[in-house]
Amino acid sequence: MVEIANPGMLELVVDLVLMPIVAFVVGLALVLMARRVRAKIERRVGPPFLQPVYDIVKLYSKRTQISHGWMHDVAIMLLLGGFITAEIFLPVPGMSGLAEHGDLLTLIYIMMVPMLGMALGVGDCANPNGSIGISRALTAMLAYDVPYIIAVVGACMVYGTSNLVEIVQIQQAGGPATWGIVTMPLLAIAGLISMHGMLGKEPFEIYIAPAEIATGPMVEMSGKYMGALFVMQCFQLYTVGVLYTTLFLGGGEMWLTFLPKVFAVILVFVAITNLFGRLRTEDVIAWMWKWPTGIALLGLLLVMIDV
Amino acid sequence: MIGTAHQIVLPVVLPLLAAFLLPLVGRLHVWPARLLGQIVGVLHLAVVAYLWTLVGGGETIVSALGGFAPPLGIVLYADRLSVLFLLVLSVGILLFWPRREHGGTRADTLTLLLLGGGSGLVLSGDLFNIFVFYEIVAVASYGLAASGGNAAGFGAALRYLLLSALGSALALLGIALVYGAAGTLNLADLSVLAPERLSGPMGLAAFLLLVLGFGVKAELFPVNTWVPEVYTAAPTRVTAILAGVVSKLSMVVILRLLVLIFADPGAQTLLLVLGLAGVIAGELAAFRAPDLNRTFAFSSIAQLGLVAVAFSIPDDLGIAAGIAVAVHHAVVKPGLFVIAGHWTGPIERLGGAARVSRPAAIAFVLLSLSIIGIPPFPGFWVKLLLLGEAFAAVDPVYALAGAVILAATVVEAAYLFRAAALMWEPPEGDNRPPAAFPLARLAPTLVLTLLILLAMGAVSPLGEALEAMAAEVGDAAIYVGNVLPGRI
Amino acid sequence: MSLLDLLLLLSLLTTLYLYAFGNHRNAGHLGMVVYAVATGLVIAMAGPLADGTGAVGSTFAPVMLGHVLSWSMDGLGWFFALLTTGAAFFASWYMSGEWNAEQPNKRIQHGTLALNVFCMLLLLSSGDLLSLFIGWEFVSWAAFLMMTQLGSHAARAAFRYMLYALAGAMAVFAAILIVKAQIGSFAFADLRAAVPALSDGLKWLLFGLFGLGFGVKMAIVPFHLWQAPAYSFTPGASSAFLNAVSARMGLFAILLVLGKLIGFATLSDLALPLIPMDAKTLLMWVAAITMVVPTFIALMQTDARMLLTWHGIGQGGYMLLGVLVATPLGTAAGLMHVLNYASYQMALVLAVFAVIHRTGTADLDELGGLIKRMPFTYLALLMGIIGLAGLPPMNGFVSKWMIYKSLLDTQQPLLLIAAFVGTLGTILSVYKLIHNIFLGQLRAEHQKVGEAPGSMLAPMLILAGIGFATGFFPGLALGVVDVAQAALGVELLPHGLGGVYLATGSLNMIWVVGIMIGAIGFGAFVFYVIGNRRYGVHQFDNYAGGHFLSADIRYHFSHEFYPGLARLIGPWYRGSVVNMENGLMIGLKTAGDLWHGAFRIAYTPFYLLVALAIGLWWAGLDGGF
Repeated sequence: MVEIANPGMLELVVDLVLMPIVAFVVGLALVLMARRVRAKIERRVGPPFLQPVYDIVKLYSKRTQISHGWMHDVAIMLLLGGFITAEIFLPVPGMSGLAEHGDLLTLIYIMMVPMLGMALGVGDCANPNGSIGISRALTAMLAYDVPYIIAVVGACMVYGTSNLVEIVQIQQAGGPATWGIVTMPLLAIAGLISMHGMLGKEPFEIYIAPAEIATGPMVEMSGKYMGALFVMQCFQLYTVGVLYTTLFLGGGEMWLTFLPKVFAVILVFVAITNLFGRLRTEDVIAWMWKWPTGIALLGLLLVMIDV
Repeated sequence: MIGTAHQIVLPVVLPLLAAFLLPLVGRLHVWPARLLGQIVGVLHLAVVAYLWTLVGGGETIVSALGGFAPPLGIVLYADRLSVLFLLVLSVGILLFWPRREHGGTRADTLTLLLLGGGSGLVLSGDLFNIFVFYEIVAVASYGLAASGGNAAGFGAALRYLLLSALGSALALLGIALVYGAAGTLNLADLSVLAPERLSGPMGLAAFLLLVLGFGVKAELFPVNTWVPEVYTAAPTRVTAILAGVVSKLSMVVILRLLVLIFADPGAQTLLLVLGLAGVIAGELAAFRAPDLNRTFAFSSIAQLGLVAVAFSIPDDLGIAAGIAVAVHHAVVKPGLFVIAGHWTGPIERLGGAARVSRPAAIAFVLLSLSIIGIPPFPGFWVKLLLLGEAFAAVDPVYALAGAVILAATVVEAAYLFRAAALMWEPPEGDNRPPAAFPLARLAPTLVLTLLILLAMGAVSPLGEALEAMAAEVGDAAIYVGNVLPGRI
Repeated sequence: MSLLDLLLLLSLLTTLYLYAFGNHRNAGHLGMVVYAVATGLVIAMAGPLADGTGAVGSTFAPVMLGHVLSWSMDGLGWFFALLTTGAAFFASWYMSGEWNAEQPNKRIQHGTLALNVFCMLLLLSSGDLLSLFIGWEFVSWAAFLMMTQLGSHAARAAFRYMLYALAGAMAVFAAILIVKAQIGSFAFADLRAAVPALSDGLKWLLFGLFGLGFGVKMAIVPFHLWQAPAYSFTPGASSAFLNAVSARMGLFAILLVLGKLIGFATLSDLALPLIPMDAKTLLMWVAAITMVVPTFIALMQTDARMLLTWHGIGQGGYMLLGVLVATPLGTAAGLMHVLNYASYQMALVLAVFAVIHRTGTADLDELGGLIKRMPFTYLALLMGIIGLAGLPPMNGFVSKWMIYKSLLDTQQPLLLIAAFVGTLGTILSVYKLIHNIFLGQLRAEHQKVGEAPGSMLAPMLILAGIGFATGFFPGLALGVVDVAQAALGVELLPHGLGGVYLATGSLNMIWVVGIMIGAIGFGAFVFYVIGNRRYGVHQFDNYAGGHFLSADIRYHFSHEFYPGLARLIGPWYRGSVVNMENGLMIGLKTAGDLWHGAFRIAYTPFYLLVALAIGLWWAGLDGGF
């Protein structure tokens, strides 16, 4: 039995409070960046610096706050709770929180909890558009998660551990030559593509498809329900960015080197997004199971030969 | 140890005598004749029971009729094996004694003839008498098969007669071959001479002829084509007797021949192949049989195939397994034929049977479970004995046979439980449920089911008795020593 | 009289009593008491078993045909016995109240449940190969009796099961007879001692026969077709019991014979020719296929029961895979998954039957919105599906995590990916289950449906609660698992109350779940305190593209829930195994017809002639004419 040095009580409390807050703030900045980049591409001015905050305040204070049942409400709690939990198990420079008590595999599954919560809440709205959206979202998940887990499994094989703190330490100790993107480039590519799918951006946003199913899962979301979805988006961008950085870009010892990597990852996603239209559901699966999965399997094969 | 009790002739003589008397008495009045027949049946059972007390401990009774010492005289030989099958014969016939049938005393007479002939068949110690008694049994069977009084019955019986006659001719040819080679027909005498005079292709050919000849009654492949037709057309009680008892008597004869005279690998392989072919053919055909009667007819073929396979294993325990399969089948199958005889017609029409007559349906299930070989029913222990021997045999061919038997078991379960499951279903569409079962008609089945359930508690003593019996039967020297003291 | 005697006797008497008097209205309560006592007896046996070498013997040892049949329960059997009596307790509870009052055949339901428990206990305490086989047959036929009780197509499914089970049993029979022929004994210890000396061919044969025989019961691919319909169409609590326990008997036997007696290590020494694979890896891949294929079949089901039972098959694959990893972590994971699965699957099946009890259907296209009418049933089902999908905080996550982790630590990424893919499919399919039944629009005909009665709610909520508790404190379940693991001779997995700590990554569920509860609490705080007040609306007050909704408009997306996926992977469902099964059946029928047709009396002379000719030719050959 491996003993884990528990962080001091005070340090732990600080981590528990700070990690979600940092995640939220960085997430807001990432959202802002995404919008600004989009605006630049579309030759617009783009939103002001505090626009994401304004949006959240606006949504929470709206008068139209329609609840379609208690599961609809609980879903909103699950969304927030799930992502906060995820942040606490995701180590960042200076704060490893509880990452030693749960590993990468745990994190992957914790991240599915808010998704399930949202799916249940949307289902409770009794709107077929929402249900269709969830059906598509889950189908997309089945599509992008396959290359994603292959990449994750390959990374765990390379690092010889699924402990996120150690994964960061290994890369930090060995320098850029031991970063995942160097030691397993194919898996890094597959991971990038699949995480892009995870964010639900074009071309993988068939589950929102505003013109077709009236924004799918969001169709019955009003006021703070929508606000919670907005907050979730912040957390999601942050989590994906940090996770990718941790697995393939060496993580970070300090925020100054760490955050640029996170922003760079998200920038890649955002930049790509605006180039594409929308793929149909079955095309998403077909494409995801063909290219990223193929690349990931090839990468895994190389890893297996190597290990 | 040799005892010479003269009671040994009674099981043969009593029924035959009564069979001759019966028509005469019947001319005066039918009921005394029928009473006489039944009394003789009971007496037969009493004598057999008494004989069992004599041989039960391992003793043997040898009786040379007319005082001529063997090999010249006619020898009757009673050891545990023969008396056991006498018992099966006697109980079986009593259980299925003809009742209220047309034709006065004809059925009773034929049944007595069968009883006497069958007794002679298992007791006889020489080939010629075996042939004679075999013919008596055959004649009685033709008559009984036709005793249903319907056209199908007559037709079936006629064809059965033709086929049987063909078989008898073959058997006679075989006997001739044996006589030509060895100059004697006494089994003990032959046993001594066989290694010298009956080895090689000649002996094997003789065995082939004998097996094909006697195999007609023993339902051996491929001379069992009469089985489905006769069993369907004949009255239920006749079917029960023919399938349950008479077929086993022929198997006993074949066993004696195999052990005493043709104990060589060629003969064993021959029996194995015929037995296995019977198992495969029987189970597969039963799987597609349209009604219960035919199902059980084909199933009997398979079961007798099992007996043949067991006897072909060159080991005493193989013989024990064969006897076990035979006796088990003799108990179970008549009970099933009673049910089949009442619930005739397509199997699909069985829907609702359990509601009409629960005891019959339950007995059907219990007997089926036993015949499939599901623990803790006796059938399982029988199969364990048989398959244990098959897998333990030196020759891997027997393990293969064991595998085939196991596979056949699944098919067996499929057709038996297809019927059983239907019984608990409501009748399909507008069909009416099958006729209700009067308890009196079901009585034999219930008795036999009870017997099976009781046997569950006595597996071990029965097994030990069987093994002791098989050790005695399997040793040709004991037989020869008893019949011809001094030759060994 | 030992504890085991007492347990078996109690179980036997219960069976007889319930078959005779099961129609009494208190039969369910009596069952609860008896199974609680039985569970107590099982727990009382734990003492001597804990070190892995002990066993509780039975004084009943009949000699049959010279073989002494012995029964004695070791830690492995104990583990499964605890599962059995526990599951029976909840099943009986479910049947004790309103369910019992309304069933026409309660005597059969109670009786077959008791019979199944008795037969399973007999199997689990078998002390030699022969008693193992007898117990095996008992269990198979008892389950058949349970499945066939409703007649019609339940009976057809049961019949199919019976054929599969019997074929499997015959394979096992052949295997034990071969063992007997080779080593002259049915004793476990003798087989164990003799294994190293056996030839490779014989080991392969035994592996194949035992694996096939026991695998049929676990419904491993390609012998999986029977299970889902057979379990689904069994009524109520019986179905839940079968789901939770019955197929585990196969796992028990595999662990006992292949794991303990023959040894997984022996299997990994059996190399296949040509391809780099050994017997153990082969079985692991079979397990992996069993995880994936049935899960994706489940995804296409439209009957809630069928969906769950198909998942049950897939979950069995996880267990088998876990124990086949055969490291302390893997074994513990597989065994723990047995317990976890039993808790959530029972809750799920019971919840679905509660829905059927109230609405009369389990058709996923004909339900919806029941969360408004049956919120507690929904809760049980929700917790169940979280467990089934293997997400935190339920126990299903812990055992699945351990399985993933053990595969990762033993460097088997491909199997790990298969396990992941199975889980992904499960998530899709369980969402469909809960969505189509409980979420969306409530149908007009279900407006007046009431919540399930307390006697049915209580067991399923408690089971779901057990699932949560052992997810929160996995150490509770791992302590039980230790007993079985010790009996298997696998090194124990060090664990704490909260989970396991390994050098390559740890899991402490107390932290994970604790934080999750706290975070969701915070989420609730944010939801209720921050922002404007929310207000509820009727389900017809909904975005509907400018139309008003009314009760006659079906506004629930449920049929073919994953159309995109179905369009892509639909053609992959070719039913190859179904075709194989049909082909086999047709072949059998044709052969049957052939033989049946061959039995014509007119052909006899021809047969005679042929037999004579061949026989004489062969006799000549043999004798060397």
